[in-house]
Amino acid sequence: MQVPWNFRFGIVILGDSSVGKSSLLHRYTEGTFDESRQSPLGIDFKVSNMYFDPDVVIKLLLWDTAGQERFRSICKSYMRNSVGCILMFDVSQRQTFDRVRSWQQEVLDYVKPNPMFFVLVGHKCDLAVGRQVRKSEGDALAKKLNMLAYLEVSTKENINVKETFETLTRGIYNLFQQGKIPTRGDWQGLTVGATVQKESPVTKKSACCNCG
Amino acid sequence: MEYEGRSGQSSSSISPKKNVRRNLDFEPLSTTALILENRPANLPAKPEEEAQKHRQEYEEMVAQAKKRELKEAQKRKKQLEDRCKHEESIGNAALTWSQEILPNWQSMCSSRRVRDLWWQGLPPSVRGKVWSLAIGNELNITDELYNICLARAKEKWNAFVAPTAAAETENEDAGLSHADREASLELIKLDISRTFPSLCIFQQGGPYHDVLHSILGAYTCYRPDVGYVQGMSFIAAVLILNMDTADAFIAFANLLNKPCQMAFYRVDHSLMLTYFAAFEVFFEENLPKLFAHFKNNSLSSDIYLIDWIFTLYSKSLPLDIACRVWDVFCRDGEEFLFRTALGILRLYEDILTHMDFIHIAQFLTRLPDDISADEIFSSITTINMNSKNKKWAQVLQALQKGQDRGSPLLKH
Repeated sequence: MQVPWNFRFGIVILGDSSVGKSSLLHRYTEGTFDESRQSPLGIDFKVSNMYFDPDVVIKLLLWDTAGQERFRSICKSYMRNSVGCILMFDVSQRQTFDRVRSWQQEVLDYVKPNPMFFVLVGHKCDLAVGRQVRKSEGDALAKKLNMLAYLEVSTKENINVKETFETLTRGIYNLFQQGKIPTRGDWQGLTVGATVQKESPVTKKSACCNCG
Repeated sequence: MEYEGRSGQSSSSISPKKNVRRNLDFEPLSTTALILENRPANLPAKPEEEAQKHRQEYEEMVAQAKKRELKEAQKRKKQLEDRCKHEESIGNAALTWSQEILPNWQSMCSSRRVRDLWWQGLPPSVRGKVWSLAIGNELNITDELYNICLARAKEKWNAFVAPTAAAETENEDAGLSHADREASLELIKLDISRTFPSLCIFQQGGPYHDVLHSILGAYTCYRPDVGYVQGMSFIAAVLILNMDTADAFIAFANLLNKPCQMAFYRVDHSLMLTYFAAFEVFFEENLPKLFAHFKNNSLSSDIYLIDWIFTLYSKSLPLDIACRVWDVFCRDGEEFLFRTALGILRLYEDILTHMDFIHIAQFLTRLPDDISADEIFSSITTINMNSKNKKWAQVLQALQKGQDRGSPLLKH
């Protein structure tokens, strides 16, 4: 059977409860904003394909983690099988920003010796009033914690949603091309599938998105 | 007989008289619709002998048709009788349950006959009553205690609405921080509107909105150490649909107090892993091929089991089927939840064997809605909950002793 993707990345979305993890994922995969969405029990996931260059297909396995604090232990096993992490905070809730550093540390300790690459997302940037974290603070923290980028995102207004996933995927892909990410048989974070077919744009068609 | 009748009809339709045939194109229900015609005037008349033969053939055909119609009528009558019988049996079952079994619950509940009747599904009219009895009330909760818990919950809601007054009650809470409690209250509000949204009865303004809110709120006061956990709203809702408020609360608290439910709702991760590991023992034994396929795809059972076990299938299966699962869950206990899971896997084994990780996970987390109760229950029947002469509880206990091993499919 032909493998329709060239690479598969596991991506996990983390952050304090109600910073908007599920709604970001929902906006990205379904294209809509749904305020009344069910928060996942333990863990939920979506699948999405991303096309590069234009003949590289990357399948993204997107793990959405539970909102409620006590489900966190369940989510840990899914961190292990991820190579990328979208770490989110709410720009209108200072304490969610303050927890970013410990979130990252927790994740890195947990996935050792496998690597994990982060983008930092300051969510709900559409809020005109009530902002408690400045953009410059987000930028500085992402730099300090060695993250790939800091993005200010609004799921509601559809600002920087696609860019978040693309920045992370592109970043990981580039690092992999530079040989900075080893693959291992027992690690599902980054899996190599079909060899990249340089002259076959047909791959793109045969591997259309299958989420839902 | 049936065949002869049919062949008679078809031979009559190969009549050379195309125009007559066209008239009959509407497919006569029986051969009586054929008209025994004389030859047209411009043709010589049939010899008497032939006419006689044709008349005889015609009469035979009519006789066949009558026979067939009689047979069909009998079949219809039988179907009607069966349906009546089925309805009657539901009625009878309801009677049997309410007049015979319920008054003698203690002595009858574990008899072979009752257990068989139970498996077939409880009549809706006695369902709540049987659930209450089967779940029991080990915690000795009274209606009064429920009212006390509810009153406390209401106080807190009011305090929450007017935060200045909150300071006083805040310290009373055992082990719950203000933020947690706030989140809990917010979550209950949010989750109620997401509970069986298609039924439109739990949403704001719906007839059961306040009842659901009350039960969940009262529980957070009854068990502040557990609090509100997502998934609970579905369990409470199913109970509310089958019993009155105080009974629903009693059943709710007792149900959540059962070892398996406590392990999950307190998110005791290592104990949950033990449950998954026990499940996988029976998975491998009952469905070795599918088990190997899942293993090759590194698909661990928690992906689908968490949702199924937390909400006791009420979110994943159509509500009527979920209620039948609850029926037997009340009879057989936690093991039936895992047996049901294996029944579902068994039912879809052929499809699942041809899927990869992503498709399996997607399929199992969003089961088809046209799932049939009969199919799923006959599939569950084939699942054997004996592993090397060990029952579910024994397997679980053995795993609990050597806990650290965990699930062979789960990677840690």
